[in-house]
Amino acid sequence: MAAHNDNAAYEKQKKAVWVATAIMGVVTILEVAIALSWPEGWSRGVLNLLFILMSAVKAIFIVGEFMHLRYEMRAMMISILAPCLFLIWFLIAFMMEGESWLLLRQLWN
Amino acid sequence: MAADTHLEKETDQVQDIWNGGTEPMKASYGKLMMWYFILSDAFTFASFLIMYAALRMSSEVWPDPNAVFNSFPFVHGTKLPLGFVTVMTFILILSSVFVVRAVQEGHRMNKNGVLLWMFWGIVGGAAFLGCQAWEWNHLIHQGLTLTSNPFGYYTTSQVIEGETVDVFQGYVNLAYDHHTGEFALPEDGLGTKGEVIPADASHNQGNWLFGCLFFFITGFHGFHVSTGVLMNIILWIQAARGVYQRRGHYEMVEKIGLYWHFVDLVWVFVFLAFYLL
Repeated sequence: MAAHNDNAAYEKQKKAVWVATAIMGVVTILEVAIALSWPEGWSRGVLNLLFILMSAVKAIFIVGEFMHLRYEMRAMMISILAPCLFLIWFLIAFMMEGESWLLLRQLWN
Repeated sequence: MAADTHLEKETDQVQDIWNGGTEPMKASYGKLMMWYFILSDAFTFASFLIMYAALRMSSEVWPDPNAVFNSFPFVHGTKLPLGFVTVMTFILILSSVFVVRAVQEGHRMNKNGVLLWMFWGIVGGAAFLGCQAWEWNHLIHQGLTLTSNPFGYYTTSQVIEGETVDVFQGYVNLAYDHHTGEFALPEDGLGTKGEVIPADASHNQGNWLFGCLFFFITGFHGFHVSTGVLMNIILWIQAARGVYQRRGHYEMVEKIGLYWHFVDLVWVFVFLAFYLL
């Protein structure tokens, strides 16, 4: 009975991985298709937001499914994911910094 | 009295927890430390990519990825924007999946299953490195180096308020002369959008930071892939010699696998930063 359960769990895990693979493949194809077919004059900001969201989907599947973090203890998940939240402000702050460098250079010229 | 012994027993248990050997996160020491190494490595990569974002924001011109990455090996004359990098992305994702399969077979103590899927994981990693070598070689051939950038733009001189100034007109992939090391407008006289460049236009190189950041960040990622392939090969040999079978578990496959998936994870963001945005 135990062996039967193990086998069923194994088949389920196997299926979960191939489903995740298919989703990531489709998302990658979508990303490239959108990059190539985005009409001239449509908002670049919306396009970038789409790219970021689709990359986030891929990242969630890699970390959750492939790296198995989804099945780990909650405390472990938090100890790994929470520090990454700092990166969001890190990114925003430096993008603002970069914009300011551009403005300063234009001012000096 | 009975309460006292009860308390003592509880204190002993609390001490036991801190004496080591327990797994408060329900993950072994090795696996947990691999996770925290990955976390620190993620911060290193994030710092590079955030620096890229800051420098790109500070630049007035930046090459359009669709015009930069449009070549495919053995395909000449036809431009396939992002074609090759899509193939590279698939190779890396599949390689990651193969290693997941190896981990699953390891849980079942199936040595041959581990060996088979690890083999395909190694092949995928090596194929990715080969693709990257081709792409780097191709870009260097086009004149992209740490300090020069052929993915430039053209300007025309105009008189504005009594002053002659260069006005940005559009992007163009410059032609690179290998002998003189100089850049010129392409022979077909077309910009990246297929428009005809006016005869009086002058050409400008793109921001040199593009090449610098591209080679540095994809190089750092490629270095991670190389070490990953190396570790996978060592793992395969160990598994083939039956080391893990004797040990009674294949946890090492899981630990090295975590690193391998992380390399795939980083590629998602490198792909986003250099090829999509």
